[in-house]
Amino acid sequence: MLPPILELTSVTRAYGSRLALDDVDLALQPGELTLLVGPSGAGKTTLLKLINREIRPTSGQVWVDGIPAHSLKASRVAELRRRVGVVFQDFKLLPRLTALENVAFALHVTDLHVSEEEARERSLDALEAVGLGERGRAFPHQLSGGQQQRVAVARAVVAGPSLLIADEPTGNLDQETAWEMMDLFVDIAAWGTAVLIATHNVEIVTRLQRRVVTLVDGRLVRDQPAGQTGRMAWLATS
Amino acid sequence: MAGDVVKGRFPRRRMVQIVTANVLRYVFGGAARNWIRNIGSTTPALGSMTLLLLMSGLVGLAGFALYNLEQVETAQASLIHIYLRDDASSEDIDSLWNRLSSDPRVAAVHFTTKADALARAERIPGLPQLAQASESNPFPASFDVQVKTIDDAAAIDAMARDQTAVDLTYPTSYDRGAYQRIQDVLVGLAIAGFVFLGLLGFVAVTVTVNSVRAAIHARHDEVAIMQLVGAPRWMVRGPFVVEGAITGGLAGLVAGLVTFGLAATAVTATSGSFNQFAPGVTVTVAALAAAMVFATGLFLGSGSSLISLRRHLQ
Repeated sequence: MLPPILELTSVTRAYGSRLALDDVDLALQPGELTLLVGPSGAGKTTLLKLINREIRPTSGQVWVDGIPAHSLKASRVAELRRRVGVVFQDFKLLPRLTALENVAFALHVTDLHVSEEEARERSLDALEAVGLGERGRAFPHQLSGGQQQRVAVARAVVAGPSLLIADEPTGNLDQETAWEMMDLFVDIAAWGTAVLIATHNVEIVTRLQRRVVTLVDGRLVRDQPAGQTGRMAWLATS
Repeated sequence: MAGDVVKGRFPRRRMVQIVTANVLRYVFGGAARNWIRNIGSTTPALGSMTLLLLMSGLVGLAGFALYNLEQVETAQASLIHIYLRDDASSEDIDSLWNRLSSDPRVAAVHFTTKADALARAERIPGLPQLAQASESNPFPASFDVQVKTIDDAAAIDAMARDQTAVDLTYPTSYDRGAYQRIQDVLVGLAIAGFVFLGLLGFVAVTVTVNSVRAAIHARHDEVAIMQLVGAPRWMVRGPFVVEGAITGGLAGLVAGLVTFGLAATAVTATSGSFNQFAPGVTVTVAALAAAMVFATGLFLGSGSSLISLRRHLQ
């Protein structure tokens, strides 16, 4: 068995006296797609921020592709983030750049060894992989929500990260587009990238039949392997 | 027959080219583009920094001139002219010469005859008319005594006044307190100059810090995405520092050129008389001052950016 890409050991994160995460253990294997579910305020976003080292744990360890995110100095955070692709609910595309430039931007600012031509080719490949090879010249405002989210995914994977984390990536999309996005994440996992998606979408969770990790009040209460997720009807009321 | 020789590029050289091109494009090119885009918010910083640097250049040149003036004054104050009576005997004059020459506080003694004194006076504006108005030579012979330190001048003056060879009406050129008054004025001017420049500098740095803060705010999304995708810290901050350096450099260039222009014009237009008013200030010194103003602009601009980044960029 391969060593895990992501490993959280006894992770606790407190905001003042409130525990956002309480003694969480979690490990993700390469190529594994995992859904992170739970009611609002359960600690999903906190968990993703810990992985991307936007915040530090109060206690415990967070290892990302062999890098100790829990003890990482600020000067080495960029090194970790180059191994983690991030997708947001609100896409976070730069409006003055085209789709192709938005994707290439991630390459340009992270790796000075990539030439202009190489960045363009790799960005075009990434856009083609998410089904937007023909829309590279379009600006974000000329694209639909689903297309913008695809551009965001292309930007997240263009540098070949070991881990992709997504915070409610389908939150602003209709159900059909949301399914297209999930198919895309399944493909990315199939390429060998570990994918962790925080979501509220009950239908996706129940139909996708992938590993589901459930957080409630900061505690990891359930870790269901792929194919054993059941209907999870409680999510609909959260 | 040998075929065509194809030479491949040396990969390391190619890599250096790519990295250099990327640094130039993203750090310097990006900074220049953003600077032009943010020109509206940068203009106040540019204006205040230009004013500061111009004042710094002019005050610096004035300070340099005052420093030289002080050196001249010190040299003059440590040179005491001991005026001799016209009817003093040779023995008295020799006795005074011996006493002065053997004094450990005296560096050198020079005897100026009445004829030499007249010749010297004729080189000073206004005095030739005085000399011509008199039937005889009105200027006395003197011992020109160079004391080792300015603090000994008063003691030498006191000793000389008791000598019989010395003129009773106007014994020496020493003016107790004159040198100190000049020193006090110069120190006062220096303090006032530093306080003025300090205040102006504070204003310029504050305005520049705020303009960089506005630039950070305007590019908040871009900076956030750069940080999230793993851009190294220097790449996130570099363009802002270069933007500050552009502001400071441009202000320094304008202020330096104006400083040089004013000083060079004053030097060339007034020819020799400017050197009496501002000793040591030449065209070369003006060019050096302009270069220093430009360098200070670069330093202030990039320094202000760094301060702003530390305070406003998480």
